Amino acid sequence: MTDSTTSLGMSSTRISNRNWTGLVSNVITYLLLSLAAFISIFPFIWMIIGATNSSADIITGKATFGTRFIENVANFLEQVDVVRITFNSLLIAGAGTVATLLVTSLAGYGFEIFRSRFRDRIFAGMLLMLSIPFAALMIPLFVMMAGAGLINTYQAVILPTVAWIFMIFYFRQASKAFPTELRDAAKIDGLKEWQIFAFVYFPVMRSTYAAAAIIAFMQHWNNYLWPLIVLQTNDMMTVTLVVATLNSAYTPDFGVIMVSAIFATLPTLIIFFVLQRLFVQGLLGSVK
Amino acid sequence: MAMAGTGEKRGLFSDNDIERREQINGWLFVMPALVLVGIFMIYPILWSLWMSFQVGRGMNLSFGGLSNIIRLTQDPILLRALFNTFIFLLVQVPIMLTLALIFASALNNPRLLGRGFFRTAIFLPCVTSLVAYSVLFKSMFAEDGVINDFLLWAHLIGEPIPWLLDPFWARIVIISAITWRWTGYNMIFYLAALQNIDRSIYEAARIDGVPAWARFIHITVPLLKPVILFTSVISTIGTLQLFDEIMNITNGGNPADSTLTLSVYIYNLTFRFMPSFGYAATVSYVIVILVGILSYLQFLAARDRRA
Amino acid sequence: MVRNSPALRWTLGATLTGISMLAATSALAATVTVWAWDPNFNGATMEAAADRFQETHPDFELDVVIFEREGLEQKLQAQLASGVTDGLPDIVLIEDYSAQKFLLSYPGAFEPLGEHIDMSKFAQYKVDISSVDGTAYSLPFDSGVTGWFYRTDILAEAGYSHEDLVDITWDEVLEIADKVYEETGIPLMSVGVDSATVTRHMMQGAGSWYFDADGNPNLVGNPVFAEAVETYGELLRSDAIDKSNGWNDYTGAFLAGDVASVVSGVWMTATVKSNPELAGNWGVAPVPRLDVEGATNASNTGGSSWYVLSSAPQKELAIEFLDEIWGGDIDFYQEILVNQGAFGSLLAAREGPAFQASDEFFGGQPVWANFSTWMSQIPGVNYGIFSYEADNAIQASIPDLTEGTKPTEEIVEDINNQVNQLVM
Repeated sequence: MTDSTTSLGMSSTRISNRNWTGLVSNVITYLLLSLAAFISIFPFIWMIIGATNSSADIITGKATFGTRFIENVANFLEQVDVVRITFNSLLIAGAGTVATLLVTSLAGYGFEIFRSRFRDRIFAGMLLMLSIPFAALMIPLFVMMAGAGLINTYQAVILPTVAWIFMIFYFRQASKAFPTELRDAAKIDGLKEWQIFAFVYFPVMRSTYAAAAIIAFMQHWNNYLWPLIVLQTNDMMTVTLVVATLNSAYTPDFGVIMVSAIFATLPTLIIFFVLQRLFVQGLLGSVK
Repeated sequence: MAMAGTGEKRGLFSDNDIERREQINGWLFVMPALVLVGIFMIYPILWSLWMSFQVGRGMNLSFGGLSNIIRLTQDPILLRALFNTFIFLLVQVPIMLTLALIFASALNNPRLLGRGFFRTAIFLPCVTSLVAYSVLFKSMFAEDGVINDFLLWAHLIGEPIPWLLDPFWARIVIISAITWRWTGYNMIFYLAALQNIDRSIYEAARIDGVPAWARFIHITVPLLKPVILFTSVISTIGTLQLFDEIMNITNGGNPADSTLTLSVYIYNLTFRFMPSFGYAATVSYVIVILVGILSYLQFLAARDRRA
Repeated sequence: MVRNSPALRWTLGATLTGISMLAATSALAATVTVWAWDPNFNGATMEAAADRFQETHPDFELDVVIFEREGLEQKLQAQLASGVTDGLPDIVLIEDYSAQKFLLSYPGAFEPLGEHIDMSKFAQYKVDISSVDGTAYSLPFDSGVTGWFYRTDILAEAGYSHEDLVDITWDEVLEIADKVYEETGIPLMSVGVDSATVTRHMMQGAGSWYFDADGNPNLVGNPVFAEAVETYGELLRSDAIDKSNGWNDYTGAFLAGDVASVVSGVWMTATVKSNPELAGNWGVAPVPRLDVEGATNASNTGGSSWYVLSSAPQKELAIEFLDEIWGGDIDFYQEILVNQGAFGSLLAAREGPAFQASDEFFGGQPVWANFSTWMSQIPGVNYGIFSYEADNAIQASIPDLTEGTKPTEEIVEDINNQVNQLVM
């Protein structure tokens, strides 16, 4: 985006010039966004094209739509108990997301609004915990789950990820934009702290919650390593685990893999599509 | 606005009773998270700390004192992994976050046509299945892949670039791949945060003739600072734990360990090689210490600019 | 999830409450659980074995759970390291190269099957792989007996026939590669920069390994290793040889007809056959040998075996099942050879009709009989516990090997240093 207007004196020239630079900056913006959108979408389209082709065509790099889509879907359905794995994944991701949002937004709000040096130290310590690779923690975590008799259960998958430090950090940073005046005003109106949180903070921070919900759902839905370790039987398998299995065959059927990849992508995409409306300017207008 | 919390204690009320109630409320809000973290993190962390002093093969362990730390100092593979990780961190993270900010502020313009489409499109990579995207990236960057075809056609290169077979180019592929996948993800946080900025500030600046780039630098960036700090800390951690792309695109750090990262090395030490759980735990704490130092620097930088 | 899987009975009520759904395995008295990694290959052979066993044991149920291969190893390791035996399967599939690593890392975790099953029925080199102190721990499954799958049409175009490829050295292979590339523009084969498969089968064919029988590095001063490194470097430097990165890249090269051949374990047969358009244009020759003393044209690449967990709730039944079907049912081996392309290690199975049949896909060659002959000639070596570490060190030297200016002795020295660093 360019800057050529500020030095011009005549107001009429300035306005027409501004329109002109506005046009240029618009064109640049659209070009940039279109390029980014193309690069971003391309692999996705390729995945859809792949789902319509045979494995052999995909290997030879065929880049046009084929006629094998129905067959690939049929093979996918034959090899995979779609209903079961979708149910498992949705349950884990759905319950996980709701629990994560609740626990982490409370904590993020608590850490930011009620600041104290001691809690700040705890918070810093938690940030460090976030950086420990999961591989270093999963063996003792497995021992704990076994001790609680939770191996191969939904709770075992969900519980360790609920207090997701990443999300606490996010809510804390986002809470910095929560206007203090609102809380003060609510207190004068006699609202209790939990009421302020539920009836003032939550609606005001809708866009933050929307972003958090998308990210949390995606995280729970795509979680691979921990479910792999803690789930043991076919009836507990998740979509992500099954997609990985399909890809590791000696003779992978890429058509089926592409179908499974699309299938694994759809739920997060739908959630994004629904929630992105909350990223529209002006929602806060009534509050401010 | 960006520092809402700081004026808290000097708010409308200030006697001791209120102060104490604030403390109690503070603890109540963070308690569920603290309890869960306490249960599911503390024991595993203590276990892994204990592990980092153990030596031996598999589960035949014995106390090794500082021998794992000594091993760290003599480990050429660790040095390679550290070197690669820092290259990714220094080159990739700034590019990605800058792009994400630019996209977010462009997409925040309510007059922009097709906002929903662009938003969804740019977000798409992070939900696209890792399997699909790694297969595609590998085929695109193959020696006879479309990238080389295009560059040859445009006469930008004379002969095909051995993308995945040459250490330098393999790093470029990884940097492109991570940027492709995670830019939209970071954009989401910026977009959400932009909703909390009052539009009238922009309108006022526009009427005063402040050009778009200056509005971006002087209004958007400072107001988004808490979230920018968040994304840069998170990206730092993400890069230090970089794993998926390496396992799937360069098959665990090839060629010649040129894309090996600390996380992949830990994986190798735990699962591919004769398991050395103790040493793997020690390398994990290298990541923790690095994140500690880097995050501290980032918080410090964010604080300085505020003054 | 996996086809024919019997454990898919679930009620909506149970899942809605959902809360404490423990593994159902212990509830059914005679269900043996197996972990495997390919639903169409090793998983399918287990299902087939169960069907046969059910004929004499009607109560028998088998539950195959599929995880991707590296994921399965991770899962098994994490659980064995935790010391928790809940939820472990009765039988698990482990790749041969990882066998000693598991057996020595988790002593007591696996049942010494050699005490229950007569191991002399199986190819000896397979039994050796999973033996600790003379006791065998696995039931040998598929052999990795290695062959040279080649495109008859492309090689004929360059003037080569089957006889030209039989019992030759890698130096001769490089000459053939140049000629084929010159005549047809097609690289002879692809070598991976991501795995040391080539050096592995080169060394085993010459009866040597990265480590000696005691598990100590056997690299510096080992003429076989020096020759293998040298040859690997020549392959990497040759324009007539394609380079690949990763399994799909590697298999895609020959499936798409971008290269004229592939040297691999017999388990690659099903993948080679997965492109039916090339039927009749493939042949299989013996694996080339290194130009060193004692080298043979028979070697091994990969392969895997079944292990029974000591903690298995159905241990006796699992052993009985393995012994009866996998240890004696010759017809079963014909069935899985035909249906899954699984080349078992039971010696008696070689006399069966499927093993003697010729294959039109391979131009009527008696490929299975050939593989059987080669299998009996594979030199036994001790893979030890550090093969992946050695692979990693070799891969780290690929830039030097590609460059080609550094003397082989120095590269071997580098590799040796890195291996010693990792072997702790």
